[in-house]
Parts: sequence; structure tokens; C-alpha cells
Amino acid sequence: MPKAFFIDTSRCTACRGCQVACKEWHEHRAVPTLQRGTHQNPPDFTPFNYKIVRFNEHKIDGKIKWLFFPDQCRHCTSPPCKDAADAYVPGAIVQDEATGAVLYTDKTKQLTIDQAQEVRDVCPYAIPVRDETTGALSKCDWCIDRQRAGMKPACVKTCCTGSMNIGERADMLALAHKTLAKVKEKHPQAQLLDEDYLGVIYLITEPRNLYYEYAERPVRPAPGPMTRQAFLAMLTRPVTSMRG
Amino acid sequence: MTQHWIDIKNADVVLIMGSNAAEHHPISFKWVLAAKDAGATVIHVDPKFSRTSARSDFHVPLRSGTDIAFLGGMLKYILEKDLYFKEYVTEYTNASFIVSEGFTFKDGLFSGFDPATKTYDRKTWTFDKDANGLVVRDKTLQHPRSVYQLLKKHYSRYDIDTVSSITGVSKDNLLKVWDTVAATGKPTKVATMMYALGWTQHTVGVQNIRLAAMIQLLLGNIGMAGGGINAMRGEPNVQGSTDHALLYDALPGYHPVPTTAWPTLAEYLKANTPVTKDPKSVNWWQNRPKYVTSLLKGWFGDAATAENEYGYEWLPKIEPNVEYASLFMFDKMYKGKIKGGFIYGHNPCMSMPNTHKIRKALTNLDWFVIGEAHETETAAFWRQPGFDPKNVKTEVFLLPSCQRGEKDGTTSNSGRWHMWHYKGYEPMGVSKPMGWMVVEIMKRVKALYAKEGGAFPAPIQNVEWYEQYDADLMAKKINGQFTRDVTVGDKQYKKGDQVPAFPMLTADGATSSLCWVYAGSYGAAGNLTKRRDHTQTPMQAKIGLFPNYSWAWPVNRRIIYNRASVDVNGKPYYPAKAVIAWEEGKWVGDVPDGPAPPMADPKGVYPFIMHTEGHGQLFGPGRMDGPFPEHYEPAETPITVNPFSKQMSNPCMKVAESDIDALAKNGDPRFPIVLTTYSMTEHWCGGGDTRNTPALLEAEPQLYVEISQELAKEKGVKNGDVVIIETLRGKVEAVAMVTVRMTPLQVQGKTLHLIGMPFCFGWTTPGCGDATNRLTVSVADPNTRIPEYKACLCNLRKADKVTELQR
Amino acid sequence: MGISRRGFMKLTGAGLACLGLKDLGLDPRPAAAYATTLRIEGAKEFQSTCPFCSCGCSILMFVKDGKFLSSEGDPDYPVSEGALCPKGAAFHSMHVSHHRILKPKYRAPGSDKWEEKDWDFVLDRIARRVKETRDRDFIEKNEKGQTVNRVESIFHLGTSQMDNEECAVTHQMLRSLGVVHLDHQARI
Repeated sequence: MPKAFFIDTSRCTACRGCQVACKEWHEHRAVPTLQRGTHQNPPDFTPFNYKIVRFNEHKIDGKIKWLFFPDQCRHCTSPPCKDAADAYVPGAIVQDEATGAVLYTDKTKQLTIDQAQEVRDVCPYAIPVRDETTGALSKCDWCIDRQRAGMKPACVKTCCTGSMNIGERADMLALAHKTLAKVKEKHPQAQLLDEDYLGVIYLITEPRNLYYEYAERPVRPAPGPMTRQAFLAMLTRPVTSMRG
Repeated sequence: MTQHWIDIKNADVVLIMGSNAAEHHPISFKWVLAAKDAGATVIHVDPKFSRTSARSDFHVPLRSGTDIAFLGGMLKYILEKDLYFKEYVTEYTNASFIVSEGFTFKDGLFSGFDPATKTYDRKTWTFDKDANGLVVRDKTLQHPRSVYQLLKKHYSRYDIDTVSSITGVSKDNLLKVWDTVAATGKPTKVATMMYALGWTQHTVGVQNIRLAAMIQLLLGNIGMAGGGINAMRGEPNVQGSTDHALLYDALPGYHPVPTTAWPTLAEYLKANTPVTKDPKSVNWWQNRPKYVTSLLKGWFGDAATAENEYGYEWLPKIEPNVEYASLFMFDKMYKGKIKGGFIYGHNPCMSMPNTHKIRKALTNLDWFVIGEAHETETAAFWRQPGFDPKNVKTEVFLLPSCQRGEKDGTTSNSGRWHMWHYKGYEPMGVSKPMGWMVVEIMKRVKALYAKEGGAFPAPIQNVEWYEQYDADLMAKKINGQFTRDVTVGDKQYKKGDQVPAFPMLTADGATSSLCWVYAGSYGAAGNLTKRRDHTQTPMQAKIGLFPNYSWAWPVNRRIIYNRASVDVNGKPYYPAKAVIAWEEGKWVGDVPDGPAPPMADPKGVYPFIMHTEGHGQLFGPGRMDGPFPEHYEPAETPITVNPFSKQMSNPCMKVAESDIDALAKNGDPRFPIVLTTYSMTEHWCGGGDTRNTPALLEAEPQLYVEISQELAKEKGVKNGDVVIIETLRGKVEAVAMVTVRMTPLQVQGKTLHLIGMPFCFGWTTPGCGDATNRLTVSVADPNTRIPEYKACLCNLRKADKVTELQR
Repeated sequence: MGISRRGFMKLTGAGLACLGLKDLGLDPRPAAAYATTLRIEGAKEFQSTCPFCSCGCSILMFVKDGKFLSSEGDPDYPVSEGALCPKGAAFHSMHVSHHRILKPKYRAPGSDKWEEKDWDFVLDRIARRVKETRDRDFIEKNEKGQTVNRVESIFHLGTSQMDNEECAVTHQMLRSLGVVHLDHQARI
């Protein structure tokens, strides 16, 4: 049975336990960072950062909104990155049948720079990054090693407030909808993001444009080649166009 | 904490004030959100909109240093609207006590003030007593000198207009908070108050907390599940290290340090053992002789005898009117009066106020020992920027300390849970536990004295010492042991047996205990700090007591003053969240504050067992700076008129004065901005451990200053620019974080800006910036001597060149 | 594969609505090629406590052949239920930090460098300096003639990083020496 994460950002305190636990479990080295006027660091994914907490702040009608988004690969149920990579190097990106995890293998090194860029371009969430030194593409591996050993992924395990959840996809979807109903009482604009297509389901409390560019896949097809997810989006337009 | 972490979930209202709990105690938010899920309202009152505010129902910004005005207004509101819990207040607090006639309050000063010494003679801060020596009470609360009436009068000045104008909090916001909190003055509504350094780090720190506790007493929230006054201790074992009193002013277990006023043990005990004539008052400190004697027995063993007053003479005596606290310790070091010493796991070159002074002071030492895991700014003081090592004559020893996972022992969490941790592997390199260093150094000192003699060798010769550092042995000694075969009550114990609990400690030398509050943690049943049992009764489970997990002091009581959670007949005020209950002649639930039956029973007792009179202290005569909290401005204040009195700052505040300590005058136009300092989630204290943990430095790499968009505009600063923050003490570079989360406040009709900075970045981590505390002031609360880190005056400008920060 | 990106998209996009999950490209083989051995397999578990704030979160350390491999929150600690903040989550990194001091170091007066020394050297030398200073500066009586038995010129700034047991030996030592300038982070 495929698994899913449910990430309830209405509970997130942006403590970044998940960001650090992910690095720790994967034994990722630190990347050099600078203070640039935000708490968000590193600014974006790197080959050594599969999970980062994004911080966005707004003052709307005198009310401060500080929005936290623990960002990571969504483990699409039908991952466009895999389709793109399969066209060049089969086995570079695989999907685990048991969990639905989308996994980047060592073979991603065989992708050329342009091919790797293409894989990145088809991702609606701008997740994969290429390690310039090794040529490998990388991103969250859903702690597949831990999952197979019956352990929770490092980020879910460490979450202080229960924002991060893992379980059978059907159960997580049910939890997401149930939670949404409750959160809507206080946050009428709360919504789930692309829940039908993803292994990682986010609940956000404010319109998605207050988060960041890639919180949700673009509802309009991006200029240039249409991604598979954009295509999916078009098919479901009556639903998604009501969002945001 | 009067409570423990899980208990936060039981609250109906969570007031987080003087704390940024989500960032500094992240796990606490598991329970704050649990309370919120169950319908609680979560309020954050703090100058800055933080991650705590983001998850609260509402955030209310206030000017740093005006908490007493804010809470004083709340107290007035509660009394005026008659929202207090009458039975609780009348029965369990000293509201009905009649205060002595000589007590006055005028122009911001209580009776007994001596301007020459800046101290109070507290002899008028007492209660009338009747012929039998009992406190005179008026349970109608109408007597003009009753605590209740005096309280009402004292806070009558804290009207909403004045409070709003001085705190910078809008009236709407004030009412919103006051209403929400005051609504818990009912038996079946309870509020918790969570605070941390945001309340303590002021020249009125203790009074901030006292006022909060007074409100909790008025609302009947002390002793209740989901209530209490909760100090979220900032450091890993600051609870335990305070219990064991690594402090100049106390002996382990909250006994005052001996002074020249008490040359003998008899005099010491007489002065410090309170007496009451009221049979219903437990007056727990009447047991002090047992605890102090057992402590001395633990230290000096067989050499401690009744004849030599258990070695009391060997203890150093301090002068009652001389300052010894760290602020003054460094002042004396700066002035060349301290020659050598030890620092373990502490980085004062980052974390003490006016670190210019601290850094210079250390260079005056002849020798200096530091036990640390890293070469911190303090360890490396002799090669700090701007100093030539050649001119630093100090002999320095850097002792490699192992980390927590490399040693056995216990720590005590904020909820007083005393928990064992295990050594996982051999310490890296030849690093060692700090306890090992202490044992080895003292072993050698003892050997030198044995061989050579020396000054006053008696205590060194007679102190019981250890072949090696052994955490298990020390845990047993902390709990306490019988020193001879003895019968206590109806039970017989053998020499060497572990003491079962502190009621069995004696004042005749038959027992030892290195810290009485821990007696019971390691009795005949073994080391209870290792317990991991989740078993609880349904009643205990309802409020999440976990009485069989680890062990909590005192006597495994999880919620302190829990006798105040029941009525005089032992019936819980809030049955759905009962802490204890008197059922069929016995107490069930938590461990009650003593086994006595409920208060209405002839043998019943008052609930506040640690107070001599047994009642919660709305009138608190024990503090240095007044029995009622009063609003005074911070030592450096942007305003020139205190609307509450002529007294601008706390008349008793402690000031360290030297040629590099300076205070800006009230409303100094050169420094119009208020600076507050704080910790952050990703780093800890001075940053020695966390800046050297790569993933944490990656997440928060450099010193920043959070400033409002309005101030940024005024100063021509853009987000990410490097700015210079300047006070009378120094200048610091920081990256400007221009944010909507900082709000300019309207104070006395003018716009006031407040900025905030963390203090964890230091020069040993290249390019990250250097000590924020180069800016702060050497002034402190008169009760605790905790410095005023939370408010001082500064100015800010865009940096013309950058020298401390990598760009 | 000679398939253009655009063509690929068309191909896989066609007839989407009627395809099942499996047909959408799930690799039928388990992703066996992906490295999946659990790196803490066979490690022994030790329980420790987070050395940062006073939540006192219990932490499990995984140790194999004396090597500390990894750590994470202890699900049995009722307060944290296995969770950890970033500082707690970095427990392992903090322990194995490249920056740790692993040997006693000594800096002679006026020197511009540390020298590595063995424990005996530093401990003996410290004991000697304590005794010298104490013997020289010990005050038995103050100006008023009251017995004070103290030494004012030695200070101790302790730490909330110490375990309770370490605090207990420390306090015992300091009062025996007559130290009165002692304090720690509770004052911050």
C-alpha cells in the first residue's frame, strides 16, 4: 500500500527539527550560508538539504501572518521527473512499489547536465538539485531505509508538534480532510495542496500565493513545454481553479 | 515550574509572557497545541512577533520592561470586576491578613527605605498578631489594612489609560488579554502562565513573576492542573544545578549561605528556621535543621559531630552587605581583586552583560581553569581581537570536557523530573566528565595539604572525598544515607542504608544527604530516576501525571501546592481535571503536599506548606524591593516621566560601577531605541556548542538584528544590509532583518522603536559576528542579581564598512 | 531512447484519465537498486538526555562497536514522545563535532599558543595554584574580628551543563576550600 505524509502547517512552529534531523540521518555535511535578512537558511534545496523550512511573512489589514512551509519532495503518485529521466537513463529514477517513494539512484549521474535540468524543469515543485561535483541528482528519499525497517522518516519522527504525519495514503487523506474541516473554523481559507496526486499532502491556512512560488503546482500551464503535472492540472481545472 | 511540561495541556487559557516558548522550549508547544486542540485560548504577550505568536490565538506587543504595568492593570481589572475566586482567595491566600499599621507606600517607595544603602528595612512589612501569636484575619476582606484592601488601593493607580500609554499596548489589546485571563477566576476554568528570561532579565524581574503569581492566586489557578506559574528553565540542568546551589547565596537545598551574622550553627538555624504558632500551618522550613545537619554530615562524614556543630565553622561566611554574584565577581576581577579560578561549561565572554568588561577582567587573572568541550570565546580570551597575548600574563588550563552522551548521571527538567542518562561510549579523546575533573583536582589539593599543611587546613582535611568520580555513588549520597543504626518513627534502619525520603532525615547526625529535596530518589527500592514506567491510574492519566516515570522532587509530587486544588473538604474544585481528592479517608491522585486530611478536618492543614503562615502570599514580605510589585522603568529608559510615581527605576536595583560601565540618562536623545536580546531555537546560550555543530550554524549562520519596516525606512536600511548598533557601552555589527514582526509602539503619545538581537554569535566562529552583550548594562534585580538583558537604550545606523561579518 | 521531451509528454499524457496507478509508471520491481541497509542496524541503544533546554528530552543513542552512529528522540519519554527540536536533533553531530577539545591544553603566561599536555601535568599544576592562592589569601577573620574562614581571590563560575552528581561534588569542594565567589547560569 502506498504511503503518504500529511503535513499540517497550521501546527508547524518552524523549529526546523525536521530540517536538521534530515541532515543528521543522511549524514549530510553543512553548506556555507549567510544571513540575508531572513530566518530561512539555506535559501533553497542543495544536494545536502532534502528538507528546508520556508518562512514567509505578511502584514494584511494590520494582521501579521508568519507562514511556515516545511518543504520537500512531494513523492508524486505519478512522478513526472521519473518519466523525464526514463527517457534518457532508465533506472535513474525509480518508484518503490511498497511505499510509492520516488527514489533517485546513482544512475542519475549518467544524465547530462541538460537532461538533469530537464528533470528539474518538469518538477512542478522545483525540488531536484544536481550535485555539480558528482553529477548526481538528489532530493528527499522519504527515508526509505527507515521506512523499510519499520521506522518513521527522520523528519516525521522529530516533529515537535505533530505537523508531520505518515501513514497509509488512504488514512492520511482521511486525516487531511478531517483536519481541514477543523482548521477551516479558524482559517476559512485553509486548503489542501494537490492532495490527489501527491504522496506528501500539505495543509495550508492562507492563500497559496502567500507562501512561495512552488508551494502548489502552477494552475496555469507554465510557458514552454507543458509538464505532465500541468497537464493533470488542466484535466482537473474545475476543482483547482477554485483554489488560491 | 509548579507544574510539569505535560500539564500545560490541561489549561483553558495559556498566557505566554516573558517567553518565546515555541522557539526556546520547542517541545513545550506539543502541549500548548494540545491545550489549543482541546479549546484553550493561547495568548502571547511579547515585544516581538515570533514563532510562538504565529501559533497563538493572538499576539500582543508591549514595550520591554513594562510587564508590571500590564499585569498591574490586569489585577485591578480582576478586583474591580469582581472576577477573583472568592473562596480560594479567602481561605488559601493571605488576602484576609491584617498588615501592620506602620506599613506605607508613598511616591513609589514602601516604608523602611534607606536611600544611603538603597535597601529596605522590612520591619513594617508584617502582619498583626493576636494574643496567641496568630495572624489577625478579616475574612470579610473589608478591614482597611487587610491585604485585599491594600492590594486594591495599590493597583487603583493602574488604570487602563495609564497602562496603555506606558506599555504601548492598545486598550483593545489590553482588554482582550485581561478578559481572557480573568475569565479563569472560576473553579472550573484554569489558566497557566509560561515565562522565562523575558521576565527574569529585568531590574524588576522577581516582581514581574510575583505579580503573575499573585494574579494566579486571585484566580485560584495555583495547585490546579493546567494552572500554576511556570518558569521554563533555560538550560539543560539549571533546575538541578540550582537545587545543588552552584550559587554564592545558597547551600544545596535552598538554605541561605552562612554569613558573619551567624557565626555558629545554632545561630544560623535559629535565624533561618521559621516558627509559627498556628497549628494548621505545616511551616515546612521548620525542618531546616534536619536538612542542614544532614548536608554537613554528607560533606564531612565522621569528622562532623554534634560537638563541632557538624563542621559548620569550616564553612566560609560571607559579609551580609557585600555583593558576590557573577556580575560583581567580574567587577572585582576587573578591578584586580580576584586572582584565579574556574569556569566550567559557561561562556561569560558572550553571555554576561558588557562583555568588554568581562573580556578585560579575565586578563587580570594569574591563573584560569576552564572545563569545556570547545575553545570558546572565554577559553580563548587571551587571544581575543584587540589583545596581544604577550601582554596577558594569565596561565590558562583548558580541560576537555566530554559530552552528555559520554557520561552517566542525572539532570532535572523544568518540571523537576529527575532523570538518569547513560554513558553510550567512551568519551572522545581523553575528554572527561566535569565531575571527574573536580574530584581529581580536589584529590590533589588534599594531598598537598596533607603533605605540606597550609592555611586553615581543617575543612580540606576533613571533607569526605572520593577515590574517583562515580555518578551512582554521588546519586546515593545526594539521596542520603543513615550514618548509624537508628530508629526513626517506628522503623529501624542500619548504618549505610539509603534514606527512604526526607521526612526521615534527622538533625542529630544520624543521617546524611547532599540535597534534601532529592531524598527519596534513591531509597531501598533503588534508583528511581531510571524508571520508565507509564503506568497511571485513570485519574492520573486524565491529567497526564506519569507518576511512575522517573522521579520528581519533592517526594515524587508532580504538581506543587496541589492541596489548593481542592476545597476545604478535599473535594476537587475542577472535578474533570482533579489533581488530588480526599476519598474514603485518603488522598488519591498526585502525591499531596503532606498526608494531613483536608483543611476543614481538625487535623487538616493550610495548602501553602512552604510559607510560614501556610497561605499564598498576595502580600509578599520576603522580597528586597517591596511586598507588592510596582512599576519602575528599566535602568535605561526612553521615557522621562514614570506615571505611577516619582521613582523612575527600581530603588533597590544592583549596579556594578566601573570606568567602563555607563548608563544613558532617561530619554537620552542619542539613544532613542530600545534594544532587547534573546536566544534562538537553533543556538544555545553563548553558542559554544551549537556554532560548532554544522547543521545548526547552517540554519542560523550570523548575527542579525530584527527591526521594523518603519524604523528601517527612517534609517535608510534595507533588508540584509549590515548595520551598526550602538549603546553607551559599545558597538556591534549585525545583519538587518527588516520585518513586519517588529511593531513600533505608541508610548506616551510618541512613536517608540524596539529592536531585538540574539547573543550567541562570537568571534571564534569566523565571520559570524561578535558578542551582542558588548551593548548591555551591568545592572541587576536586587533579589536575584540577574542582569537586565531585556531592555537598554541604543541607536542604529547603516554600516559604512563591515569588519565582523562575512559578506 | 530517441524520444523527444515533447513527444514523451504527449505519449504519457494520452488517455491519462483511464489509466491506473500502476500504468502511470510505477516500477513494478522494488527499488532494490537503491541503497537500503539501515545504517544503525545491529547498534546498541543507550538512553541519554538532551543537553540543551530544560524540556529534558530523552534521546536514544545508537552505538556500534564503541562508535556513536546516530541519535534520535526517545518515544518513551512522555514529554517529547520521540520528538526533538533542531538542537536535540543535532545531538550526534554535536558529540562528534570537529571542533571539540580532545586533550588538555595549556597556555603559559604571555604565550601565543596552546600546548597539549597530559592530565597529570594540568591537574597537578592546578592543585598547586589553588593551594598557593588559597594559602596566600585565606582570611580567617574579617576587619571586625568575626570568623569568616574564606578565600575571596578564587572564583568559580559553574554550569547548568553539569549533572546533579557533578554539581554535588563541585559544591562540596568549593565550600571546603572556602570559596565565596561562586555562581552559575541561574544568574543569567
